[in-house]
Amino acid sequence: MDATDIQILIVGSAGDGTIAAGNILRQALAEAGYKVISFDVYPPEIRGFGKCIARMRATIAQAYSLKQQSDVMLSLDDSHAIPHVGEVRDWGAVLYESKPVANAPQGHITGHIRPGQIPYGCAIREISEKATGANRSRNIVALGYLAGLYGLPREAFHAIIDRQFKKRGAEVASVNRKAFDEGYAAGAGAFKLDDVAFGPPQPNVAPGTVVEMINGNAAVVKGCLDAGIDCFFGYPITPATTIMERLATEMPRHGKRLVQTEDEISAISATIGAGFAGTRSATATSGPGLSLMQEMLGLGTMAEVPSVVFVSQRGGPSTGMPTKTEQSDLNSALFGGHGDAPRIVMAPTNVEGCYRCAGKAFEMAEAYQTPVIVLLDLYLSNRYETVAFGQKSPFEPDVNKRPRKQDLGAGYKRFALVEGGVSPRAVPGDAGGMHIVTGLEHNEMGRPADSAEMHLAMCDKRLDKLKGALVHPDFTVTKRFGAMGKAAVGLLAWGSTFGECLEAMFQAEKEGIDCAAMKVVMLSPFPEEAVSAFMDDCAAVLVPELNHDGQFARLVQGTLGRKVVKLTRVPGVPMRVSDILGEIRRLAGRNLPQAAE
Amino acid sequence: MSERHHVIVGMGITGNEAAITLRRREPQSRITIVTLASLLFYNRYDLPQVFRGKHDWREFLVHPPAFYDDNRITVRRNSRVSNVDPLNKVMTLEHKEDIPYDTLLVATGGRGWIPEELAEFRPLMQGFGSFEQAITVARALPEGGGRVVMLGGDMIGLDLARTLIDTGHRVTLVAGEQTFWPHQVPAERRPAFVAALEAMGVEVVEQDSVGGVAQIAQGAKGLPARRVVFRDGSELMADVVMPFYGIQPAIDFMGRTGVDVERGLLVNPELRTTDGSIWAAGDVCQIWSQEENRYRFYYGWRNVRAMGEVAAGNMTGGNDAFVADQDEKLEIDAEGRLVSPFWEYA
Repeated sequence: MDATDIQILIVGSAGDGTIAAGNILRQALAEAGYKVISFDVYPPEIRGFGKCIARMRATIAQAYSLKQQSDVMLSLDDSHAIPHVGEVRDWGAVLYESKPVANAPQGHITGHIRPGQIPYGCAIREISEKATGANRSRNIVALGYLAGLYGLPREAFHAIIDRQFKKRGAEVASVNRKAFDEGYAAGAGAFKLDDVAFGPPQPNVAPGTVVEMINGNAAVVKGCLDAGIDCFFGYPITPATTIMERLATEMPRHGKRLVQTEDEISAISATIGAGFAGTRSATATSGPGLSLMQEMLGLGTMAEVPSVVFVSQRGGPSTGMPTKTEQSDLNSALFGGHGDAPRIVMAPTNVEGCYRCAGKAFEMAEAYQTPVIVLLDLYLSNRYETVAFGQKSPFEPDVNKRPRKQDLGAGYKRFALVEGGVSPRAVPGDAGGMHIVTGLEHNEMGRPADSAEMHLAMCDKRLDKLKGALVHPDFTVTKRFGAMGKAAVGLLAWGSTFGECLEAMFQAEKEGIDCAAMKVVMLSPFPEEAVSAFMDDCAAVLVPELNHDGQFARLVQGTLGRKVVKLTRVPGVPMRVSDILGEIRRLAGRNLPQAAE
Repeated sequence: MSERHHVIVGMGITGNEAAITLRRREPQSRITIVTLASLLFYNRYDLPQVFRGKHDWREFLVHPPAFYDDNRITVRRNSRVSNVDPLNKVMTLEHKEDIPYDTLLVATGGRGWIPEELAEFRPLMQGFGSFEQAITVARALPEGGGRVVMLGGDMIGLDLARTLIDTGHRVTLVAGEQTFWPHQVPAERRPAFVAALEAMGVEVVEQDSVGGVAQIAQGAKGLPARRVVFRDGSELMADVVMPFYGIQPAIDFMGRTGVDVERGLLVNPELRTTDGSIWAAGDVCQIWSQEENRYRFYYGWRNVRAMGEVAAGNMTGGNDAFVADQDEKLEIDAEGRLVSPFWEYA
């Protein structure tokens, strides 16, 4: 291979340290200077049952998703790894335990390795026991073997192992270093027969930036902190929990408040209350939690109170598939709850986008005095990427912390019907800012009023003011890639699936297909003009998404009255690039849009 | 019959020929090849080509990987057989996996033999039995010409010596009883053969004249990597020391099977061992020779390939005797060069 583009797959059972090994490896690759994109899959069970997978792709050029085929697989548990052997390409490598205590029900993995793949057996358990006196470090030995086989810099791993294990004592770190070194020696001594080769990495050269290996939820946390979050209220739920966990560590350090509430209703209520009080406040949840929050989100819309809700989607409905990814809460985020309750809904497409959306969500919530939902999904929440962050926050500070008008004067109307719909806002304590806030429909003063004229005026106001979000400063509402003129096929996508769309587009371009792609970050208000212009250019528009019904496709069709081709999947894992590519080829061959419904 | 499982141990020319024959004769049966190697079947006779810059092992493959998929031949690489239980027809691999079989063909070939007095120096010597070993030797030799000390000098080694000399390396042969193995050169003809070697460019040191090898050691810093010390006190410096003392059958795992073993597995002319379900073919077996009234080995690529075909035929209902297809003569041609069918691989 000319340039490094290597995907590594680690498969084990819960308790094998699969994710931990993947975590060390991706950090080491990132620190070595490779761009890394990584995603873990784990079971809902805590230990000893389900399958854990860590996948990571290390590249020189920017990558946008994981590859369908891996170059290297490391098995920490053959019974789980065997079904994934076929994922490794020909001339790629399969690393496994050569002296297992017991064999998998399907037999030893050597019986499943395909002729074109290169097998590497290593006495992982034996080396671990020799190095550390126990087999608990099998994952670290195996990681060392992999690092040694490919000549990865040992020092980078040492530093990360030290960091990872120091909280458990210096001796634990030392033992794991030893395990790694023994594995490394075995790997370095193995005769390398596969064609996987790491080329020289490229150091970060963007001035004023620092590269971090970070996942979507961590990027959300960083965005919250850089935007100056004051309060967070949350109730744990996979896959959003780590947002609260990280904030619980970080916020007290900055003098901020975090409360774990008794449920999601309480969390959103407190968030809106804190927003009413003039603080930057947020909560985070998943689909089931969003369902519980709907009534209070309606209050936020009606009372025009800023709040930010991060929603990381998982397979549904009900408890559904808590540890699998899906994009099936779009309808709930856009239309959930009762009444006409417009809100801002945005969906980042990558980890850097999680950071930007998180920070901008606070800006917009304040600017347009409304709840903002940031729609993530498990794939994005748990996906790691190397991101170059600037050293200065790109977000506007809290308006309530700027010098403020002290006296709003007589006749203050909190819900004044003004041009653009954004009324002057008072927070408790502002002189002259006394007003009524209620969930009832109200007049400009906030007093209950339910005349048809007032209800219509207020409905218009609450909807119209959101249009400003489409031109909010420094925010990417939509972005187009690929062919800039006419295209045979246009990919219109949102959320995490956009990465797979881009990879499919690149491959289609290599095949000579005129292909374009547009990511839609702002979902409500819907960027009709930009999407419509894109569709004008494309002979066929394909909308790939991870839900059963084609929720985004329906949104596009319903909003614009134009047909798109749906491509829906609900496998619980990211969409396959080959599925998208197959549809692109089909559409390009026919060159006409297929009826969507 | 159609669901039978044929297991072949060994993935050399014999095992592969057997697998192909089995598939041809029984399209429905299961076929598994078990091998210690990491690579698929490749042309070991071509390994000297690594000294001509052929370093990608894929260029040595006899069949592409798809061949095995297409023919539904399962290949178990990196797998060592630890035991065979003929009573229950189960073979156990070192990683504790049992593989039931209906018929078993042992085609493990041989591994390089090293005299006991040199065994302790094994880590300082380089074999030449696999692609990995060949590449290791190639990497150990300096570009522009290195020096190889070859101990013994069997036909495999002498074939390599020809290439090494052609590619600018210096070869010193410490000649002894095993030189020209498996050919047994009559004493009166030996000087002529040695002279032919020297004419080829090989420097020959007769082992008897130096009293044999006393020690192999690491070379001092700045000098070649190896030092061969003879009993008479003389020394040879080398970048690589390679033993070529012939091969011995690799049949350790057959120890508890109860089948008859001498130096190799003893088989009848139909290549069946004393167990009705186990056959053996290639360098690993001694075949009963009616003419010579003894069990004897047959070497040479054509012979071992033919054995694979015959054994597979008999495993699937045939009853053909092996007939040697390749003579084993070693001669000096009109131009004074050593020639042997042993080296003529096609």
